[in-house]
Amino acid sequence: MSQASNEPVKLVLYVAGETPKSLAAIRNLEKICSEHLAGKYKVEVVDLKKQPQLAREHGIVAIPTLVKELPVPIRKIIGDLSDTQKVLVHLSVEG
Amino acid sequence: MTVVSLVSALTRDELEARLYEAEETLRAIREGEIDAVVIKGGATEQVFTLEGGSQSYRTFMEAMDIGAAAFDAEGQLLYANQALCKLLDRPAGALSGQALLDILDAVNQTTFRRLLTQALKERQSAEIHVRVGDSERSFLLTGAPIDFGIVSGVAITFTDISEREQIAAAKESERLARSVLASANEAVIVCDRSGRVTHINAAAERICAEAPIGKPFEEAIELTFADASELMSGADIVAMATSGTPVQGLEAAVKTSAIDVTDVMISAAPLIVSGDRTQGCVVTLINLSQRKAAERRQALLMGELDHRVKNTLAMVLAISARTAAHERTIEDFQKSFSGRIQALAATHTLLSNASWENLQIKDVLRVELAPYATLSSGRITMEGLDISVDSKTAVSLGLVFHELTTNAVKYGALSTRSGKLSVRRLGLLEDGALQIEWEERDGPLVTPPTTSGFGQTLISRSLGSGPNGGTKLEYRPSGVVCQIVIPKYGHFLS
Repeated sequence: MSQASNEPVKLVLYVAGETPKSLAAIRNLEKICSEHLAGKYKVEVVDLKKQPQLAREHGIVAIPTLVKELPVPIRKIIGDLSDTQKVLVHLSVEG
Repeated sequence: MTVVSLVSALTRDELEARLYEAEETLRAIREGEIDAVVIKGGATEQVFTLEGGSQSYRTFMEAMDIGAAAFDAEGQLLYANQALCKLLDRPAGALSGQALLDILDAVNQTTFRRLLTQALKERQSAEIHVRVGDSERSFLLTGAPIDFGIVSGVAITFTDISEREQIAAAKESERLARSVLASANEAVIVCDRSGRVTHINAAAERICAEAPIGKPFEEAIELTFADASELMSGADIVAMATSGTPVQGLEAAVKTSAIDVTDVMISAAPLIVSGDRTQGCVVTLINLSQRKAAERRQALLMGELDHRVKNTLAMVLAISARTAAHERTIEDFQKSFSGRIQALAATHTLLSNASWENLQIKDVLRVELAPYATLSSGRITMEGLDISVDSKTAVSLGLVFHELTTNAVKYGALSTRSGKLSVRRLGLLEDGALQIEWEERDGPLVTPPTTSGFGQTLISRSLGSGPNGGTKLEYRPSGVVCQIVIPKYGHFLS
């Protein structure tokens, strides 16, 4: 699986207000993006507490969940993103 | 759509992806990585959080008046209430993420992190100092473990103890100031701007009027300035110091019930508590009474010395004239005269060593007999002569003992090896005069002299004559006997 060279990584993070795990996921994602995807990513944070209907688009069940929209294929990473290596594998940007 | 038709509609990849997602969701739930779920109810979705008491801890924290914040087990801020934002002078909601820790300096951050770690296990407290606006504030932090549904963390409350600390510091400072005041040896009186006494220490209490606090300075302590009595008063000094001009080292007499304080040296300085404004003045009074008394005593002694020197010179002149009249040759004169002057000098030495006071008869006698005492040890006895005499009597006794000793050495008991001398107290006469006796025996046979020398005159005249004093000299064949009467005023035998 290869990443298109100039295509930015588009990510959508689904959270539920400020639950501890939502906050942890935001924090972990910020860290991963700044350390591994500098300048090559676009993140949208969706608060399902405010707009629960948006869960439908990606079929979100557990919160927090990170969805990699681009580059395809779409990938979901469920949990608070505390395992950096696992997140990088799914985003296909490690190394 | 049935499950079978749904499955058949999906590609293998999609199926694998869905399976993977389902497994991941279960894993995340099992490992506690999620704390909310989306439940589809009819046409709408609903989000349920797994924070146990739902949002109860936030609602509770918001209702609290004291600043509070919640942290997860990794020490990350979950929530800070509005009271805390207000306490730290930050806009509501501004204390998210790292913002709270960022307002602390390195030392306080360490304290804070340590508290976060310790409070995961049990309730702990710590104190931190934070700059809020223009002031340095102190907070007492209390952290305790708390469960937020599936996760555990720490709740920390912030109590502003700056005022408490400032009050404690102010109290400590006042206590220190009071003990400094109380410990000062010098009398210290503090006055306010209107010149009224506000504080006073124990040393000052002794020389002040009763209940001096609240009284104007000049009523609290009565001072008289010797150098400018009309021009200067205690109130003037206080007024000068209060207006910012220090006053130093003025001498004044003080009227007080304390008998050991009569003279003081007064200094006054403006009292500046904060800023440039004078709050009053601090007056210190150093007790000069002892120094003044010493000065007066010295002046008295100088006068006394002057008097004595004149008396002594007159005596020397008289001794010189009388000795010259009785001696035939220059050598004889020189010997007798210098002996008498030496006797005078010896008594003077004794007197000055004893500060012209409390010289005893035995001391005067011992000095005169000193050159012969070793030769005649055992032959000379003294008895009951530890009686103090005044300086005039001491000088006279010195001359009398000198003449008697000279005579005894030349012709009497001290001129032979067998001769003995005893000097003793006989007792008090009716008028209070003290009688002592000089008795020589076992010496050469004594015959009364044919002519009366000056020595004899000196002996008989030295202590006056008549019933109040004088000497009676007898030339008994067994030895010279001299009865010396010291008038009542000349000795201190009671």
